[in-house]
Amino acid sequence: MNKALSTLFAVLALGFGAATSAGAADPSAGQAKVKEVCQACHGLDGNSQTPDYPKLGGQRQDYLAKALRDYKSGARKNPIMAGMAGPLSAEDLDNLAAYHAAQPAVLVAKH
Amino acid sequence: MRGLACASRACVAKLDNRQSFKMPSLKFIAAVLALVAPGLAWAQGAPNGDTEAGARKTPMCAGCHGIPGWRTAYPEVYGVPKIGGQHSAYIVKALQAYKSGERNHPSMKAIAANLSDQDMADLAAYYGAAPARTASNK
Repeated sequence: MNKALSTLFAVLALGFGAATSAGAADPSAGQAKVKEVCQACHGLDGNSQTPDYPKLGGQRQDYLAKALRDYKSGARKNPIMAGMAGPLSAEDLDNLAAYHAAQPAVLVAKH
Repeated sequence: MRGLACASRACVAKLDNRQSFKMPSLKFIAAVLALVAPGLAWAQGAPNGDTEAGARKTPMCAGCHGIPGWRTAYPEVYGVPKIGGQHSAYIVKALQAYKSGERNHPSMKAIAANLSDQDMADLAAYYGAAPARTASNK
């Protein structure tokens, strides 16, 4: 019985590990892209000094990923960002979101 | 000026062959416009944001943007963006884009549709004001 239980847990743990690692984005790969694509406007750490360009450092990762996907697909229309996100792969976009979300947060959920 | 000071025949001839009177170049016109345009924009008046007025206008915002870790439910599930500490100018741009339909999140479109330019400026001033670092960063 114990053996059966521990086998069950092992299987569950494996499954869980696989499920979480499948979508894991790579912030360091993201940083390499940031230097090529994002830095000029948003800054290396995403905290742009230019009022027209949003700060991204510490922003919610899934929000950033969605915004980038929408720019790429055209669901969100912005001529500048369409040009930036368009050529990038889905993996690049996830990595960029992970990188920016991991930067020191200037942004907060302010009531 | 040279043309005005010039009375001799030689000068008239010079004017005739248009050495002294050149049409202003496009570059020059663009430069003048670039200098004048910000002044015009200011005169037409993007309203100045009032942080305190903005603080009184947040009930529609705080239910999502004021709750650390809050996630949208419709039409997609993802974390609501943090806007405390964002550039005020960018917040105004985002609200205008929702109002115009350029950005199309349903809730944000509905909320922005009812905001005046003054409301947007006030909210942007409130949220853009340097956040207390003690607030949640989640």
